[in-house]
Amino acid sequence: MGPVLTFGLGVNTNQALQDVLERSVIAEALRLDYLWVADSPNQLYGPVVASRIASVTRRVRIGLGLMSILLHTPRQIASAMISLSEAYGDRFDLCIGAGDRQQLQHVGISIDEARDLRSAILAARRKIASYMHRAGVNARIWLGAQGPKMLGIAKEFDGVLLNYSKPEMIRSALDKAQLARLQHIKIGTYSPSYVYIEPQPELMTMAKVSSAVVAIGASAMVLREFGLYEDLRKAREMAKGASALESILDAIPDWVIEHFSITMTTDQLHMYLAELHKLAVSHVVFGYPQNHSDETVRDLGEALERSHFKSEKW
Amino acid sequence: MSCISGTNFLCPINVQQCQGLQKAGLSLGVTSSASTSQIARLASMAEHTPFGGIWVGEDIGRIGDVFVQASVASLNAPTKKIGIGITSPLVRNISTIARAAAALRELDPTMFRLGLGVGGLHDLQKLGIRLRNPASTLTDATQALREIWAGKVLTFKAQSLVLDRFQARYQPESNIPIYLGVRGPRLLQLAGRIADGVILSGPLPYLEEVVSIIRNELTRHGRARNFSIVIWLPTLIVHNIRDQELAKLVAATVIADAPKAVIDMADISDLAIEHVQTAAKNGGYQAAAKLVSAELLDIFTVSGNADHIVDVFESLAKLGADEVVFGPPYGSSIDNSINEVVEAWGRS
Repeated sequence: MGPVLTFGLGVNTNQALQDVLERSVIAEALRLDYLWVADSPNQLYGPVVASRIASVTRRVRIGLGLMSILLHTPRQIASAMISLSEAYGDRFDLCIGAGDRQQLQHVGISIDEARDLRSAILAARRKIASYMHRAGVNARIWLGAQGPKMLGIAKEFDGVLLNYSKPEMIRSALDKAQLARLQHIKIGTYSPSYVYIEPQPELMTMAKVSSAVVAIGASAMVLREFGLYEDLRKAREMAKGASALESILDAIPDWVIEHFSITMTTDQLHMYLAELHKLAVSHVVFGYPQNHSDETVRDLGEALERSHFKSEKW
Repeated sequence: MSCISGTNFLCPINVQQCQGLQKAGLSLGVTSSASTSQIARLASMAEHTPFGGIWVGEDIGRIGDVFVQASVASLNAPTKKIGIGITSPLVRNISTIARAAAALRELDPTMFRLGLGVGGLHDLQKLGIRLRNPASTLTDATQALREIWAGKVLTFKAQSLVLDRFQARYQPESNIPIYLGVRGPRLLQLAGRIADGVILSGPLPYLEEVVSIIRNELTRHGRARNFSIVIWLPTLIVHNIRDQELAKLVAATVIADAPKAVIDMADISDLAIEHVQTAAKNGGYQAAAKLVSAELLDIFTVSGNADHIVDVFESLAKLGADEVVFGPPYGSSIDNSINEVVEAWGRS
């Protein structure tokens, strides 16, 4: 048996719920290990979507998050996890973090005004864990992180989810935070993804848009370190104003966007996973638009099945 | 003269009002501090009964996600209307309430109702939340929700909520009924003007007065047709002394949190109320329960045998309630209590 990675599919809660459920069933049948349900202020409420997914699936683990500690209190986040676990058993993981700067700003929350974010996230983690422990709920708590400062607290978590895809960025982040050596922490990546047999132009554009959103919201420190800051400066400024998405996209070179997405053929996937595995990454989540259609979910599931990174046990 | 149904319990609603009865809808009430598995079980039970709906109330500041629980309830009772009764825009970002409601509505397009209120004063105090202007809080929240659901790009700057060029990316849903859980006269009038329904609770004599305030407001604004009045009181079956003690404890809890405006409207002896409230403050609810008289018990709870409870429900329908809610705390055996009320409801 070859090396083992676990794989997740990111669930986009902008889609019609019925479609989300249908694709969740397909993903489970294709033996994906996780479905990660996002929770952004402009999307359907993650815990309700997670509850519906749990009701139509049996074995797949469901990750809830990223849940922003600036949008929800620790008690509210723990409540969601406890209510889900009471109804469907210990099938849930949680990912917490600050959340997307721009999305939060749209709902009246400023990340910049939050004092000592790292301490706040650690305090939230402790409270959530304590509530769940008292309720007898077992769930892994992941940190959603990107910049080196935030990665500095990753060792207090069960796992960390990085939202970039380029192996050299991942290696650098793990080296700096000295995470690869820590056995108790699972290291995962969660990026916009489009793994395909034949590329569809519409989906290529969707992948580009999603990756651009991540790139624009990325930590300035990370962007500077990898020489991306200057190339993104204009797009970041445009995003603060009311510029149209098309013109923002035009301002970002394709090679920059590639740092933040998994866009490749099913045949290329194996090599990419091998690189991640060498870096001690053990969990890979394929984000939007991989769940765009039944077909894109199937293409991914079948490609993973062919790779020898898939766990035999399930 | 009271509405008596062969029990020793007093129903303070005048017996003449019970004549020419209009039957209301009967719903089951649960609250978010119950375990989700219990809510699932009760919802399954309700699915096979005459209950028309299930209301899930948020116990603010306690563990339990009211939206997940409503989702679980709707999965277990697919033919019943599901309502949140209530959640508060003071404890959640308005975008969270909007998208949770939209998710619940999406799979059951005609079955979901959202109850909004500011929340109990004591609960808010415990969370360190200051209640400044409940009327503008609820007005702003209602308006913002409707505009978010309509898919508008929204900028909103109010004391209790801020949105800056916010737009929901899920499917627009403009048809989610909003029920306001309110008590004072100003807020009751507000509900009559802007909401799709109202969830009322409080002492029975107070309810007589507030239903007429709302009906007048609805008539004044030509909105009487598409508006529902839901009355949700602490209800429990009483078979023995232990049940009676539980009922008194529930009454003491309700009395301790009752605003003065509500007490005044109910025209209840201030002194009796003050004794209970002081005892609750100094010695806790158990101590306060000892001061709850039979009269206060009947004013603040619907407790007695199943026939009596159904009689009170019917009296409330006569007053103008479109829907009445049974439970919690139900009684010492939840399942038996629900079954007894369902049977009595069927007989009535």
